[in-house]
Amino acid sequence: MPQSKIVSLAEMVARVPDGSSIALGGSFLHRGPFAFVRELIRQRRRNLEIVKQSPGYDIDILCRAGCVGKARAGIVAMEGNFGLAPWYRRAVEKGEIVLEEHACMTLTAGLRASAFGIPFQPVGGVHGSDLAALNHWASILDPYGSGREVWVIPAIRPDIAVIHANEVSAEGDTRVYGTSNWDRIMTRAAKRVFVVAEKLEALESFQKRPELTLVPGFMVEAVAVVPNGAWPGSCWPHYEVDYPAVERYMDTSGSLEEHMASAPEIAEATHA
Amino acid sequence: MPEGWSGFSFIVTNLARFVRPGEVTFSGVNSTPPMLACLLAKRAYDFEFVYINVAGGVQPVPSKIPISSSDPVLAEGSASIFANEDFYDLCTRGGMDLCFLGAAQVDGLGQTNVSVIGDWHHPKVRLPGGGGGAVMLPTARRAVTWRTEHSRRTLVEKLDFVTAAGGMAGVVTPIAVFVKRDGRLALQSWHPEASLDEVRERTGFAFDAAGASPTALPTQREARALLSLDPEGQFERDARVALR
Repeated sequence: MPQSKIVSLAEMVARVPDGSSIALGGSFLHRGPFAFVRELIRQRRRNLEIVKQSPGYDIDILCRAGCVGKARAGIVAMEGNFGLAPWYRRAVEKGEIVLEEHACMTLTAGLRASAFGIPFQPVGGVHGSDLAALNHWASILDPYGSGREVWVIPAIRPDIAVIHANEVSAEGDTRVYGTSNWDRIMTRAAKRVFVVAEKLEALESFQKRPELTLVPGFMVEAVAVVPNGAWPGSCWPHYEVDYPAVERYMDTSGSLEEHMASAPEIAEATHA
Repeated sequence: MPEGWSGFSFIVTNLARFVRPGEVTFSGVNSTPPMLACLLAKRAYDFEFVYINVAGGVQPVPSKIPISSSDPVLAEGSASIFANEDFYDLCTRGGMDLCFLGAAQVDGLGQTNVSVIGDWHHPKVRLPGGGGGAVMLPTARRAVTWRTEHSRRTLVEKLDFVTAAGGMAGVVTPIAVFVKRDGRLALQSWHPEASLDEVRERTGFAFDAAGASPTALPTQREARALLSLDPEGQFERDARVALR
C-alpha cells in the first residue's frame, strides 16, 4: 500500500520556505486554494513569488499581509462588481512588490516550457504588444522557412503548485469538477505539487473512473482536506462565491484579523 | 418594454449585434456586458452560433445569470468542458471568430491598454494587466471591446502602454458603435440621444464617420431578451453606465 500523503493545512504550509515561488490554481474568485493562502499569512511567510494567470483575492490578501515579493500574473482583479484588487494595486504602485506582467497565455507558455522540459516555449500572438520589450522576450523566425515570426517565452518553473480540488485520494489522486482553469499545466510545471481538497475519496473511486483524474497521485507530495477551503470564493458544485464576505473583506474599515478569524478552516480546526 | 436605449442596454445589445451566424464566439473574465450579450444573442436571434466562455462552457444553458462572468454556473448544461488552454489555443490557431476582450484605453487603431495609467514603472494607476489581449487580440478573427465611459481619457490618441495590438474590429460605448475600416476605428452609429458632434467632442482620436447614422433602436426581441436576463435591473444598476 502506498503511504498516505494526508497532512494538516498547517503541516502543508510548514513545508513552504520563505522566498518560494508558488503557482496557485483556480481563477479569480473561483476554486482558488484560499485556505492555504490564509495559512501562509498565519505562518508569516515572506518574500513569496506568486505565479497565476488570473489572481485576485489570493494575491490581494497576501499583499495586504506583506507576504509577497514578486507577482508573475496575467490579469489581477477581484472581478464581479468589485473591480481592482486594492492591496495588490497599492503594493505595485508603491513599489513594494515586483510585477512581471504577462498575458495569461505567455505565462502559460512559460509553464509549458517547464512542463515540456525545454528552456523556452513559442506562443501565438504578442505581436505589437509593449509587454514583449518590457519583459525582454525574444522572437524567432520559423527555422522551417514559413517566414513567420514567433515570440518565445522563457521557462517558468514554480517551486510548488497548490491547487484546490473537489476530491482527492489519500494517495494524492485529484479530481476537479467543472473547468480545471490552468491547474493542469501548473501541476506539470512545478517542482512539487500540493493539493487541498473539499473531500477525501477512496482510491477505488478513482480507479473506477481514472479518466476523470486531473493529477495522478504519484505527482502529488501532500494532501490536505479542507471543506469550504476555497471560501470566500466558489467551489463548483459544492458552493458559490460568498459575496457578503468578499464585501466585508473589501471594506477598509474592517480588519484583516476579523476576516481571517471568520474563515471556515478556523471553525474546522476548533471543532476537530 | 423599453422604447429607447439606456446606456447599459445600448452597450449589451450592440455587443450582441456583432455576433454572426455559425461563428465561434467567446466571452471571458471581468466581462459582464459581453457575457450578457452572448446570452442575449442566443435568446433574441434565430441563427445558431457556438457560444464558449472562460468558465469552460460550450453552448451552456446556465440556470442563472452570475455576477462574475467566469462563474462555473456558466458551464452548466455544457456537454464538454473547454478549459483555458483549449480556448486560447483555439484562438491562436485561428479558430476563434469573435472574441470579446476588455480594455481601459482604446486608440484609433483599436489597440488597447489594460496595464497602467501613467508610466509602467511608476504607475499612477496599476490596472488589472495583460489578460487575454496580447495573445487574443492579434489572433482572433475579430475582437470587440466596450467601454462604459465614453471620454477622451478612455478613447485616446495615444495609449499610456500598448498591452495588445492587432486592432479591435468593434468598440461599443454608451453613445457610439465603432467598427474597423481600413485599419482604423470608424464610427458606424451613435446613440439617437447623442450626436455626431458629441461623439467627436468626447473622443480622443480622429475617426471617419462616413455613412454613420443614429443606432437602430432595440428590436422587441432584443429588449425582451435583455429584460429576461436582467428582470430586476440589478446588472443595469451594478454597471452604473451614464450617457454623460
